[in-house]
Amino acid sequence: MRQLFSLLLLSLVALCFAPHASAADYHEQLVLRPLPLSALLASFNFRSNTTLSAFEAHNFRFFPRSLGQILQHAGTRELHLRFSLGRWDAESWGARPWEGAREGGTGVELWAWLEADTDEEADRKWRTLTNALSGLFCASLNFIDGTRTTRPVMSFQPEGNHPNSTMTNMHLLYGVLPHEVVCTENLTPFLKLLPCKGKAGIATLLDGHKLFDASWQSMAIDVRPVCPPGGECVLEMEQTIDMVLDIERSKRPRGNPIPRPPPAHELKCDTSKPYHSGDTCFPADYNANQDWSLSQIFGRTMKGTCPLTDPNVPPVCLQVPNSRGVYITGGATEKKNLDLVSRCYEIAPDTPEFEMVLPRPESNEESGQAAVVVQEVVKPETPLLYAERSFTGHGQEHGGVQTILRNPSPDTEVEFIYMETLPWFMRIYLHTIEARIEGQAGASKQDPLIQEVYYRPAVDRARGTQLEVRMRIPPASTVFLTYDFEKSILRYTEYPPDANRGFDVAAAVITILNPNPNPNATSPRFAAYNLRTTSLLCSLPTPDFSMPYNVIIFTSTAIALAFGGMFNIIVRRFVAANEGPEMTLTAVKERLRKRFGGFLQKYRGKADEKKSE
Amino acid sequence: MPSVNFASILTSLRSRTYTTRLPLFTRGVLVAILAFWIAGIQSLWDVRAWGGLAPDQVGITTLYRLNTFPFIHLNIFHALMNALALAPLLERFESEHGTLTSLALFFGPLTTIPAFIYLFVEKFILRSNTSVMGASMWIFLLLGIEAIRTYRVNPYFVISTYNIPTWTSPLALLVVIAALVPSSSFLGHLSGLIVGYICGLGYLKFLAPPEKVLRWIEARLNLLGRLPYYISIDQKTYGRFGVLPSSGSPSRAGALRLRRDPRILKLPPYLSLLCILVGVVWLFLLPLDEYSRRTYISENALLPGQVHTYFGGSDQNVFRAYKHEVNSLVGKSNVEINDKLESIVKGLGLKAGRQNFTYRSAGRVYSGENLYAILQAPRGDATEAIVLVAAWENAKEELNRNGVALVLTLARYFKRWSLWSKDIIFLVTPDSIAGPQAWVDAYHDAHDSARVDSLPLKSGALQGAIAIDYAKEGRFESVHVVYDGVNGQLPNLDLINSVVSIAGGQMGMGVAIQEMWGHNDQYPDRLRTMLRGMLKQGLGLASGPHSSFIPYHVDAVTLQPFGDGWQDEMAMGRVVEGTFRSLNNLLEHLHQSFFFYLLMQRERFVSIGTYLPSAMLVAANFTIMAIALWVKSGQPESEAEPVKKEAGSTDSEEMTRPTVERDLFLPLGVVTLCQFLAVVPLYLFNHAPESMLTPTFTIFAIINTALPHALSHLLMTYYTPSAQQYQLIKSFSLLLLGMFLSSLATLNFSLAFLVGLLASPLTFMRPWPQSPAMRIACTVLLNAVAPTAVLVTAALAWHLDINTVLREAAFAWDVCGMYTPVVVWCVWWPAWLAGSVTVLGRPEVGKKKQKMT
Repeated sequence: MRQLFSLLLLSLVALCFAPHASAADYHEQLVLRPLPLSALLASFNFRSNTTLSAFEAHNFRFFPRSLGQILQHAGTRELHLRFSLGRWDAESWGARPWEGAREGGTGVELWAWLEADTDEEADRKWRTLTNALSGLFCASLNFIDGTRTTRPVMSFQPEGNHPNSTMTNMHLLYGVLPHEVVCTENLTPFLKLLPCKGKAGIATLLDGHKLFDASWQSMAIDVRPVCPPGGECVLEMEQTIDMVLDIERSKRPRGNPIPRPPPAHELKCDTSKPYHSGDTCFPADYNANQDWSLSQIFGRTMKGTCPLTDPNVPPVCLQVPNSRGVYITGGATEKKNLDLVSRCYEIAPDTPEFEMVLPRPESNEESGQAAVVVQEVVKPETPLLYAERSFTGHGQEHGGVQTILRNPSPDTEVEFIYMETLPWFMRIYLHTIEARIEGQAGASKQDPLIQEVYYRPAVDRARGTQLEVRMRIPPASTVFLTYDFEKSILRYTEYPPDANRGFDVAAAVITILNPNPNPNATSPRFAAYNLRTTSLLCSLPTPDFSMPYNVIIFTSTAIALAFGGMFNIIVRRFVAANEGPEMTLTAVKERLRKRFGGFLQKYRGKADEKKSE
Repeated sequence: MPSVNFASILTSLRSRTYTTRLPLFTRGVLVAILAFWIAGIQSLWDVRAWGGLAPDQVGITTLYRLNTFPFIHLNIFHALMNALALAPLLERFESEHGTLTSLALFFGPLTTIPAFIYLFVEKFILRSNTSVMGASMWIFLLLGIEAIRTYRVNPYFVISTYNIPTWTSPLALLVVIAALVPSSSFLGHLSGLIVGYICGLGYLKFLAPPEKVLRWIEARLNLLGRLPYYISIDQKTYGRFGVLPSSGSPSRAGALRLRRDPRILKLPPYLSLLCILVGVVWLFLLPLDEYSRRTYISENALLPGQVHTYFGGSDQNVFRAYKHEVNSLVGKSNVEINDKLESIVKGLGLKAGRQNFTYRSAGRVYSGENLYAILQAPRGDATEAIVLVAAWENAKEELNRNGVALVLTLARYFKRWSLWSKDIIFLVTPDSIAGPQAWVDAYHDAHDSARVDSLPLKSGALQGAIAIDYAKEGRFESVHVVYDGVNGQLPNLDLINSVVSIAGGQMGMGVAIQEMWGHNDQYPDRLRTMLRGMLKQGLGLASGPHSSFIPYHVDAVTLQPFGDGWQDEMAMGRVVEGTFRSLNNLLEHLHQSFFFYLLMQRERFVSIGTYLPSAMLVAANFTIMAIALWVKSGQPESEAEPVKKEAGSTDSEEMTRPTVERDLFLPLGVVTLCQFLAVVPLYLFNHAPESMLTPTFTIFAIINTALPHALSHLLMTYYTPSAQQYQLIKSFSLLLLGMFLSSLATLNFSLAFLVGLLASPLTFMRPWPQSPAMRIACTVLLNAVAPTAVLVTAALAWHLDINTVLREAAFAWDVCGMYTPVVVWCVWWPAWLAGSVTVLGRPEVGKKKQKMT
């Protein structure tokens, strides 16, 4: 991935100095990388630039107008929006694409730098921004309210170049919706922001069925101002879609997606087993699905190239060892890179369709030895850190969170910031936070793992907990970071109205710091690597709403009415001082007179007054 | 003058309870209602057709209907409710107006006028023909009178600034009864009420028979002298707007009197016996159709059996290969087995983890290594998981060859689907109890890290678990669902229902529960199933790999194929597939109130509301007796005194009758001692090594027989306890027993019921100072139901070694946290000990009396 990134940077730098800046305003690229366990990582990257002056003048060319107006209205200087689904399997797939910088936790994640004079103004603008984006992307972003918004202190740094004058009154706000299910309705507006709208170029491969059947996928939108040295500042918008497809699953025809058992003669068996026979088959289809074509895995072929794209950037790149053969349609040319593990394809502008076929590697299958695998995929790069988070404990009163952090590097220590955004109903006990190295009893005093803690406690029903921990993990060791929390009891209206599966807790964000930051770099890359844990499901004590309701309503009504009335009349007896008067006609007359006599008198009085007048 | 009158009446009234106080006419009416109900039971003569007020039947010859209809009722409940409501009202009316007046009024105008109103409206205005009967018309009539009277004194009651006239309250009742009680006649009640109002306002006074005539009749016939409970015309002045017996101190005095009535204290033993009998009979009624219900799926999201299952075809070939692999591992060590299995599951692309555990119990070491693999939901986010368990050895220590091979094949099959919303964990444990227990404990971080390793890999919250126990070779016929958890906890019934509906309904195979291999759904089979279930629940032992999951609120069952039929391994796999698809549908954790039930057939169950009373009644018998003994111990020994004295004259004396001071120290000490002694057997049996269990038990059983004698002897030698102290010993011990058992009944119904039943003789034990024969008989009986004796008898009945029983109990206590030993040794045994001491006691009666006087 690093090679890819350096490639992109190089091309970017090259583009910046190109005489025709307008040609470099938009480019797109798809990078395909087969992963172990018959998976395929597809990274789509779309980048469009607009000069800040054109942006200020509402002069939109490649930059989508709908988004641009929202950003201007909400005073947003830098925006990062993520839609993610599934989980990245770092054990098998290695390091994340883009060093983890273009992915979010499960659900929707949004952080932005807003220009505002006061916190209240920033909050107001943030509300405007979330509500507008909610409409634009068909996501429940408007539910990012005060309880879900935090202001991270250490974890995020602006990626763009901001003048020092605006830096002082920029506010970083961060919100996350872990329960949001990302689906096709989010993809459609995403594609609409592209200049070619998914009608040409690599975006034609983006099909909702395949994208959301992926084992992991992340859609990202990043908007930031970039000031190349010596050039004019531009507002850069980068749209990224990364997905990991299961090749076997993707190759199934869309009309028949059910994985029925294949006919017995199609099973790939390990013939070396002594018991192998016609009706006994030890499966050997592990790692077998390394042959695929673009149309098989994406369900369609690529429809030419986007005419607006920078012709200098090859639209499709493939990362397989150079030894593997690849078939492509005519009109495209292959360019192998010097690093021996990647190659790119340049497609002539008039090519109607582009298809690529990766045949099964010529392994020595005849010998029947699956173990002797020809180097058919690039060995994944080891990530800087593995992280896994889970709940501990059981019951509905207390719980704990345990994060297992493993530094695989044999000689480098890792320093990172661990950030948790917890909902208010998880009341954490900060004194229980503890980091210990596996195999050691307690936290060692002289070399503390936890170096700095930033903690902003929750306020019930108003804001969530924000916890940022700066840690350092020695080489080749595993650290358990644990803390306990208490579950609070919600009011009954605070439960969501739908089936209650629990409450999702947002993923923890881990930002690995650059070990030796270059002080005089123009854009200091603050984070070397980002990763996010999976989200958690926290179950709170939940009443069975219907039952007590029925029981209480029915029984209390029956008892109150029937029993109460009857009992009262039967039992109560009043004691009078003397016997009441008998009810006779004269008594009724008397009573009537008493009641209405007053009116009569008044009336008469009035009549008398009138008379006297 | 009136005050004297009041006093004499009140005192005489006080001497009678309410029922004996009912005046003559009221009695007559109640008896008539009862008589007509009895007459209505037979089918020869339709009383209801004869006497009901049917508008088109009323002619000049059938005018009797106008008077008979209040006595005739539809059914026993109708009669009972009306009689209950009528008695106090009519009693009051009669005691105000006198028996003769009531007779005249209620056989005359007060019945016929409403009847005529009803007939008129029904026949000529509504033009329908609804027959009415029952005394409720009278009730409303009397309520109307009372309401008007109340209105005169207290015209309004205030509800948040609204003044509501009190006379409207019967109207509200009228509406409520019309709404709530089916087939009640609104019109009939209304006509009664209207007449009641008119009567209450005094407009019907002219209808009352003249006093002079009544007085004359009364004097002539000497009715007051001849008839009991007769209320004379002269007595009627009492009560009317005066101080009445229902208000103020007289009633309290009545209650006090009631409490002091020696007959009350004779009641509790019978009441206790009744409780036990009703409790047992109740249990035996449960299998009837009227008391049990058909099962149904409460969680609609499960949709069991609604999906096609595709497991089969070439998966059979894979299964055979895995079976070969499993067979080749037989006899190898745990670690070697796991090495091989791990390479297979990793080959399938699953994440695998291992966990070591070592438990020590009764001198034995249970250790092993669990292997588990996580299939991460393809698009999921690791928040939830379901578990598929196969123990290498099942609970009977048979090799679970097919089960393990099936789990591997299913893992490969499930991996191909992308629809899983939850992770699937495949767990292979070396044994059926300790392995799953260690794994589940570690999954929830509730493990003791000295004995059980932490899990290297984890997933989300567990939502359900299925265990496969498939040791049987060859084809099978049906599936046996094992569902008992540790300590009698049960999985949600919806899970069992889903399995039953998938296996029985969709796959067409039989489903059995509680080892009832054949079940004809008749009463004996249902009862047997239920009792087996209760016994297992009561013992609280883990019955399979699923048992350990249930305490963590993870619903789990074990599926065991049995019988000879034509179902193969693939069919079993499809059952698991279908169940997993159902669990996969779950939006929320199974939460419906389906955790407490007794199954009596695979599709019949009893819910807690229906069965709980039986255990509660058994537990209540101890509490009743304990309270009775407490009350009794506070009274002087009444056997020596004449029971009943003249009414009226004893009143003041009884009010100030002295209570005896209770000597609490000794009884409390004895009961506390018994409770503390209970720690000894609990500790012994849970810590003795295996070889020492049988000797320990034998010695303990012998000591147990002698212990009551020794204790009793000690007591009598050093303290010479009185009868009261024995009563208190028994009272306290029974109170504790009742309290423990009734709270236990909500947690483990069966255990509470069984212990309650076995301890029920304790209720009736008392010292027999005069009769050594009875003392010996009681001692023998008590020794027959001693915990130790019951343990031996049960072991003999099931052909078990006592050593095995004790070892299993210790294992379950150490590993699974089973609390049955606590209940046996710390609840049942102390009560038994205290009971035995009581039986052997010989209180000194004479000495006691001296002390008292």
